[in-house]
Amino acid sequence: MAEVQTVSRRVFWLVPLALLPLPLLLNPYQLFVAELVLMYVPVGVGFNVVVGNLGLFAFSNVAYFGIGAYVSGILMARFGLPWWLSVLPAGLAGALAGLITSIPALRGVRLFYLAIMTLAFGELMRWVYIRWEPLTGGSMGMSVPEPTLFGWPLDGARKFYVLLALAVAVVTTTDRLLASRFGRAFMAIRGNEIAAAAMGIPTGRFIVAGFAWGGFVVSIGGTMYAALIGHLSPDSFNLTELVLEFAIIMVGGLGSLLGSVLGAALLTTLPQFFMSLPGSEELAFGLLIILVILFLPRGLASLLAQLHPIFQDRYLRE
Amino acid sequence: MAALLELSEVTVQFGGVVAVDRVSLTLDPGEIMALIGPNGAGKTTLFNAIAGNVPVTGGKICFRGREIQNLPVHGIAGCGIRRTFQNGGLFPDLSVIENVLVGLHTAVASRFFGLVLGGVGARRSEREATVRVRALLDQVRLAAIADRPARGLSGGQQRMVEIVRAVAGLPPVLLLDEPAVGLAPPVRAELANLVRRLARENGIGVLLIEHAIELVMRVADRVIVLSEGSKVADGAPEAVRADHAVLEAYLGHG
Repeated sequence: MAEVQTVSRRVFWLVPLALLPLPLLLNPYQLFVAELVLMYVPVGVGFNVVVGNLGLFAFSNVAYFGIGAYVSGILMARFGLPWWLSVLPAGLAGALAGLITSIPALRGVRLFYLAIMTLAFGELMRWVYIRWEPLTGGSMGMSVPEPTLFGWPLDGARKFYVLLALAVAVVTTTDRLLASRFGRAFMAIRGNEIAAAAMGIPTGRFIVAGFAWGGFVVSIGGTMYAALIGHLSPDSFNLTELVLEFAIIMVGGLGSLLGSVLGAALLTTLPQFFMSLPGSEELAFGLLIILVILFLPRGLASLLAQLHPIFQDRYLRE
Repeated sequence: MAALLELSEVTVQFGGVVAVDRVSLTLDPGEIMALIGPNGAGKTTLFNAIAGNVPVTGGKICFRGREIQNLPVHGIAGCGIRRTFQNGGLFPDLSVIENVLVGLHTAVASRFFGLVLGGVGARRSEREATVRVRALLDQVRLAAIADRPARGLSGGQQRMVEIVRAVAGLPPVLLLDEPAVGLAPPVRAELANLVRRLARENGIGVLLIEHAIELVMRVADRVIVLSEGSKVADGAPEAVRADHAVLEAYLGHG
């Protein structure tokens, strides 16, 4: 079965290939929505590693997202760096934030205590964006210069392809990690932390690794936000944003890499269909979450898994 | 030469309660030592002390002459002391093969950056570990359930998988905490054979907590009886069975 899985998983490479003609088929607004989906892929993937795979109720995801966006924006606007050179530093800043937010978990804080502490970190970061005005522009926010790639303006199809490449890189590297002893250690910690340690897993070190990878990946999403939206404001990284990000992994499937991608795609595109009816967007969003929790507690990924074995995600077990 | 595992005057105290009281024992390679005693005698606490799950209040625990009582749990496991748990220590969301692969965690050499960047060495060591575990599961006739999640297994299968996971890396010391609980007689016999084979063929020193006396008598080379935290008997199974102090510990004063 494992062999079958390895072979069949290669089929997933067809997905990015199938997306290549999109810039030719979509109008500029539709292309922008597609780019938003690509941006939310790393945001969901990183969040799911911590909440779904490690099984820790840590909600500082929106902080990593904001840190990625602001570090990228500040490096571009204040230090004149081109966007592509800001991606790695922003990711590393997110990894550092992940490392810092793992400290309560390392001290044994769990469940809603951990949830509240990590939520507080997100709010603290918003305070930093507001107060550190010379760098961040304060509550009015800051404008980010047009992103460039090797001197070329990053727009139109070029922007789509760069974001697609980043999203694919994030999914591929996270998949490799989850398929290895790292992914197994994360799931072991989620299942039974005492037994995991008894198997020789330094649980603390792996919790730090999970948080740092989550922070890194989500911050990459933040740099994509800076490139896409062009304006950063503290309000963009508030609790409402966190609820959307949580909905992405809940609806997609906790602990499922495929689920993170599906959730990002669905929850980014769905609101677009309700835009003509003011207020219905929130209603549809709320209903979707309730329906998924009631009828598909393991998310959309579990539904796909029933359709064909190829969709059976590594750690999504019924 | 230093003993494989040596406990000298080990004491574990919780506040005013002495759960383990100055227990000493020596385990040699290939030896199967059973630890028996009534409920609350301190058997599991002694296991937890050896594995690092509870702090030792007094005495010394040495593995091949090296003191280990201050090492963290994963450090003790890394030395080669592996255990099973009384109440199911499997990882429910992982498949059987993944559970056993976790048992090989310290033996898989893949590193973070190697994995993320798709390095050949990292991929090879992951692949080799998978091949090794598949062969092992084949050997113990669990290959058919290799890809099933642990949560759906029967009690007997869970026990067997847990033991296989603990011995996957051929640790020098194996601590088995009531492995026969809830197992049907034929499965118990299979378990006894497996434990004996592991000790005889691989030289693993086994420390076994067990209430099923017939299993203890079948597999153990030596039996230690604990009562109220203290060692009350230590010897060959038949000798211990006839020991007056043992009968008293189990049945109370007559």
